[in-house]
Amino acid sequence: MLELRSLTKKFGKTVAVNNLSIACKEREFLVIFGPAGAGKTTTLRLIAGILKPTGGEIYLKGDSLTGVPPERRNISMVFENYALYSHLSVYENLAFPLRARRYRGEEIQRLVQRMAGILRISELLDRRPGFLSGGQRQRVALGRALIREADVYLLDEPISHLDAKLRHRMRGELKAICAEKEATVVHVTHDYREAMALADRVVVINKGQLMQLGTPDEIFRRPANEFVAGFVGDPPISFMDVEYFEEDGKPGFRIPEDGIHLPASPEVGAYVKEKGLPAAFRLGVRATDVGALPLEDDMHKVPGEAYVTETLGYRNLLTVKLGNNLVQVVTPPELMFRVKDTVWLDLNQDNLHVFADGLAIAHPRPRAS
Amino acid sequence: MERRQVTGGDLVRYAIIFALLIFFLFPIYWMIATSFKAPGDILTRPPRWTFQPTLENYFYAFEQANFGLFIKNTLIVAVVSTAIVIVIGSLAAYSFARYDVGAGHLMFFILSTRMFPAIAVVIPYFVIFRDLGNTVIGQALSLGLDRLGALVVCYTMFNLPFGIWLMHSFFQDIPVELEDSARLDGYSRLQVLLRVVLPLVAPGLAVTAIFCLIFAWNEFLFAFMLTRAVARTITVGVASFWTQRGILWGPLSAAATVCVVPMLIFALLLQRYIVRGLTFGAVRG
Repeated sequence: MLELRSLTKKFGKTVAVNNLSIACKEREFLVIFGPAGAGKTTTLRLIAGILKPTGGEIYLKGDSLTGVPPERRNISMVFENYALYSHLSVYENLAFPLRARRYRGEEIQRLVQRMAGILRISELLDRRPGFLSGGQRQRVALGRALIREADVYLLDEPISHLDAKLRHRMRGELKAICAEKEATVVHVTHDYREAMALADRVVVINKGQLMQLGTPDEIFRRPANEFVAGFVGDPPISFMDVEYFEEDGKPGFRIPEDGIHLPASPEVGAYVKEKGLPAAFRLGVRATDVGALPLEDDMHKVPGEAYVTETLGYRNLLTVKLGNNLVQVVTPPELMFRVKDTVWLDLNQDNLHVFADGLAIAHPRPRAS
Repeated sequence: MERRQVTGGDLVRYAIIFALLIFFLFPIYWMIATSFKAPGDILTRPPRWTFQPTLENYFYAFEQANFGLFIKNTLIVAVVSTAIVIVIGSLAAYSFARYDVGAGHLMFFILSTRMFPAIAVVIPYFVIFRDLGNTVIGQALSLGLDRLGALVVCYTMFNLPFGIWLMHSFFQDIPVELEDSARLDGYSRLQVLLRVVLPLVAPGLAVTAIFCLIFAWNEFLFAFMLTRAVARTITVGVASFWTQRGILWGPLSAAATVCVVPMLIFALLLQRYIVRGLTFGAVRG
């Protein structure tokens, strides 16, 4: 459907998009997710044709878009600042893309009324954008993009600037509207919840380069590298620097400062055998994957020291000190720790991500539950 | 609204405003009063505050001095030169604002054509138009001495750099995303300019037009040097009441009063735009 092949964009010496190749399927909701300055908006603008790529090509329905001006690509876009026409009423803003395509008068009226109904802005049609609230403007911008049948809809952080409550609601509505339209959507965001909630598949990019392309579940459970692991999830994943050792032919990890031993999965041993010892091993611990107890038992064998405790109501967030590493763990609300208490963690080969020189080599086993 | 107590500070403020208004408006009052005075009432000492009003000065200005023609000439020159400045200037300013034509050097060059006093070029222009008036093209476009076309060219040349710089800042204030968005909505570059950019920049164009009109309306030097009778404008016309027999204060005041009125009406009509245009960009709509 929409395909980017080795897309590159440079601004002077800065490389904004670096050799990016992505394929978006028909009717797919694709989310481009990355930190500020990752090249997300630049990628959208390249697809829209507002910017010309330095290298690579974009294909839409099998045809190259090289040299095709924006008005002849059947693509519609919502801009981050909404870009509403402040001299036109809301009605005329919505009708604007239809008028360009010479729709008939009654057809325009029907489509505008319908879109205004879906977005619940029917009573605002006579107003100018200057007299609308942020949420209302965002709806008008969304309506203007969705009112016509485009091959691809590009959404540039359309709900990121709304307040938290409204953002939450619009997230659901946006997904519903796009699903109903059976639209092919490329959505850009820096908010991980938004990415996970909306996407069929997520493209994680950083510094213009593709980090990982996968379903939200894959991105969360099987991050390809430390960047993706660290960027996805709340509370963020905790990293531990560890040393590798073998004992009786079995691989294991050791926390350098206090010599705590952690088990390593057979994949890690196989990796070391094949590729040699990497410069650095790091373990990634998701706060929700690990349990903590005040006493040692068969499962909870790794001792640490309670460092910070945060109460969030439906759960507690506990930061545990292991050597020089800080590990965050989610605990049930009834389990309270005091600072400096000894905490026993169930760190084992089944709930740890293992990264060798930044790249993932082992992930936690999927849990039975 | 709640009624506020009038304080001593308010009284002082109003007193100052009132004094300033008298200071600025008195000359205008005196001009208008003089235009209705008979010759014997004008230069008296002490000045005469009450007098028998007469329209004699207006009849003199329009019938003897042919002031109607001067007004017509000035209107034509001002409107035509302003229209040319707006059309050429807006296109130029748009391309400077969006495509950075000439990387700033061309903009500076255009401004530099205003970096000398008008008097420095008026003699060369006199020679140019004298010779041009004798050619076929010059006659067809009315570009000779004492021809309106010559004044239109001069005023356009003087207003264009100013207009381009002013409109440049107005165009820059329009977010470029609006144009990108309109392109994606299916409009060509030219359609985007006509349907999105120009309506948004209209207050800016109005402000530019007003400044150009005021300049053309008040210009004296070029009109004085390049016209004799046929293409004479109001400023030169007013000055012509300074005769060998003395200054004809009555008709002069009458003519000057008539000159003020059109600009006043114009400014009142466009006041809304002037305020919006001058604060353009400061307040995001």
